[in-house]
Amino acid sequence: MVRICDIMHKGVIFCYPDDHIRDVARMMIENQFRSVVVVHESGEVWGLISMIDIIRFHGMNLENIIAEDVMRPYQISVDPQWPLEKAVEIMKRRKIEHLIIIDPHAGPKRPIGILTSFDIVRFMSRIETGQYQQMLKMPREESEDPRR
Amino acid sequence: MAEKVMHLMRRGAITCAEDTTIQEVAQIMVVNSIRYCVVINGRNEVQGIISARSILKAYGRNLNATRAKDILLPYTVTITPSSSLNEAVELMSKKRIEHLIVVSDRPGSKAILGLLHAEDIVNRMAMA
Repeated sequence: MVRICDIMHKGVIFCYPDDHIRDVARMMIENQFRSVVVVHESGEVWGLISMIDIIRFHGMNLENIIAEDVMRPYQISVDPQWPLEKAVEIMKRRKIEHLIIIDPHAGPKRPIGILTSFDIVRFMSRIETGQYQQMLKMPREESEDPRR
Repeated sequence: MAEKVMHLMRRGAITCAEDTTIQEVAQIMVVNSIRYCVVINGRNEVQGIISARSILKAYGRNLNATRAKDILLPYTVTITPSSSLNEAVELMSKKRIEHLIVVSDRPGSKAILGLLHAEDIVNRMAMA
């Protein structure tokens, strides 16, 4: 059985509720994340900001907009020991792309990782990490053969 | 001047055929680091799009027996290059999708020109 903790990203990228949205957007672009967890100073999860949430503010003056205005409150509690099927079920039912994984042992609402729909696609494709180069080389080797 | 879709869209798209297995679609997405795959038929007409989330529909099924045409999202939400960016943003946030298919505004044309990505809009907002 595959558990959530086997394929999730360990650690979360977070910001505080009063961070400026432009800084959050820059952080996302520079590091190629598609979501940022909003964490209260106490370390509890408050919400999640995805790209869709940011583009709602397109065309507005971003100076006075902070993360708290943009985030969607996050209420779902996902345990890292659950089987992957359960995560897929939640994503399908709620039509969301990102799940914040919360460790019950670290205290209430402490985020320890994130699971995205792309992680599940990667799992389903059965390509091991580090084998991408080989996958990319395959067609080229075939096309070189006739010339030899 | 108001910005239009044509200023920000990416030309071209990564595609697969209707009868590609889901295992292969997943591999195409992972190898190219993309979160969508456009499904086309034999005459290069767009049939629909498969996103990372729609692949989840096939989770638990036999991935080599399920085909792209079984799970694709029908090709309904599109935009043209001359539409304004505001219109595109509205469509994206209403439907909660990160990629819009850009099609030609010539009547009768079913050719796909490219895709508009949410991350390019965020990039533009962050750098403005």
